[in-house]
Amino acid sequence: MASLKKAWNPMLAIPILGALSAFYFGLTQTFWAVTGEFTRWGASLMNLVGIDTSHYSYLKLIHYQGTVLDRVDGIMIIGMFLGAFVAALISNNVKLRWPTSKIRIGQAIGGGILAGFGARLAMGCNLAAFFTGIPQFSLHAWIFTIFTVIGTYFGTKIIKMPFFRPRVKLQRKNSHTLADLHQGDHTSRNRVLLILAGVAIVGLFFVEANKAALLPWVLVFGLAFGFLLEKGQVCFTSAFRDLWTAGRTNMTKAIIVGMLVSTIITYFFIHSGIPAKIMWAGPNVVIGGFVFGIGIVIAGGCETGWMYRAMEGQVHYMLVGVGNIIGAMLLVISWDALAPKIVMPFPKVNLLTSLGNYGGLAFTYGALLLSLLLVMWYERHFFKKNSQPTKEALAHENGL
Amino acid sequence: MKTAYNIDYLLDLKGEPCPFPAMSTIDAYDDMSDGEVIEVLSDCPQSINSIPVDAKKRGHEVLLVQQDGPTFRYVIRVHK
Repeated sequence: MASLKKAWNPMLAIPILGALSAFYFGLTQTFWAVTGEFTRWGASLMNLVGIDTSHYSYLKLIHYQGTVLDRVDGIMIIGMFLGAFVAALISNNVKLRWPTSKIRIGQAIGGGILAGFGARLAMGCNLAAFFTGIPQFSLHAWIFTIFTVIGTYFGTKIIKMPFFRPRVKLQRKNSHTLADLHQGDHTSRNRVLLILAGVAIVGLFFVEANKAALLPWVLVFGLAFGFLLEKGQVCFTSAFRDLWTAGRTNMTKAIIVGMLVSTIITYFFIHSGIPAKIMWAGPNVVIGGFVFGIGIVIAGGCETGWMYRAMEGQVHYMLVGVGNIIGAMLLVISWDALAPKIVMPFPKVNLLTSLGNYGGLAFTYGALLLSLLLVMWYERHFFKKNSQPTKEALAHENGL
Repeated sequence: MKTAYNIDYLLDLKGEPCPFPAMSTIDAYDDMSDGEVIEVLSDCPQSINSIPVDAKKRGHEVLLVQQDGPTFRYVIRVHK
């Protein structure tokens, strides 16, 4: 029980997510992705307030039809929310946390809008254009990843400005007593909420089983995805951003290892005849990745990141979610003007076709391993640059 | 709760979302001297993957990690 309550090492949680996401592709013939579905939610909201969305071609492109309970992505996402909520309850991590300032509210919504827009422009977020896009052998995912890295670098420059800094001051304490955390006892509340979540899961299971044989399984995968994201505190934003803020690489390395795992499983499914999900590799991916990178750093989380944190009761991340949907809707509205110039003229590049089966596989593994080495080199370089030389070291350097 | 060591500083980051708890904690080390102890509070659970990792990477000693509720506590002795 103790290991269920504590956070899990991302180096465990993310490779499991990698393997599961590949099997999810084998089962559903679509990849683990979330922003497409959030775009459909946005379209439903527009319809609800009386806006006619039938002429937006982007919604046809992402197969906007039916209700959330009819769609594979829809039921998977509901599973993710419930799985993350269950994990947060078991870990006793659920608490309503309100934003501390208007600046943070602006960051959450503004960053969320940028991230939502950028992700949809590139046809994917940290999943479809990164974590599950690279194992699909789609070139667009590599381009997106490179420009997300660059975007997060500039995003970090922005959040390091004094304006965004916490107003908290270091307090002199000088005492042998730990601060009172005023945690309260949430045992009975958590138990009630767990039972409610359990009822919702069982109910959904039966609803979905009546719709199609596949959907209850989709729900199970969604539950597992959400559970693992919360338990591992898996933050894709951190994997990029914290290279720049702290020289920290634990999340980055775990994600690369996760992709090393999912690539080979995905390869076998593609080899067995399931068509790979390939997207346009055009300037849209360059711009989308860059804007997404800036957005996730300002917001403090990407799509999967806000989902599990919202379920922990972090209001900040609920606002990031709202921003994401607004951003996706802005893209839907502007797609018909943008796509003929920066998307449609460009090819959908499948590395397994352009480089051959083994070439594509070798390229993907080679590039992933190279990324891993680069991250390790960068970490060493960061700490060398930032370490204060001691008197002894200086003396040594001066030949004394 | 009593501790065997003296806690010199408190940094209460409750309410701050990622990555600010981690960034502020790293900044705090700069204002501390060798051997001093800091207690950091954060209700951003993701800090479990950042604050202790950053501390160890910088050669500091993690004396306590407490994660039995929504607010996490880290006690770190700074080594310079």
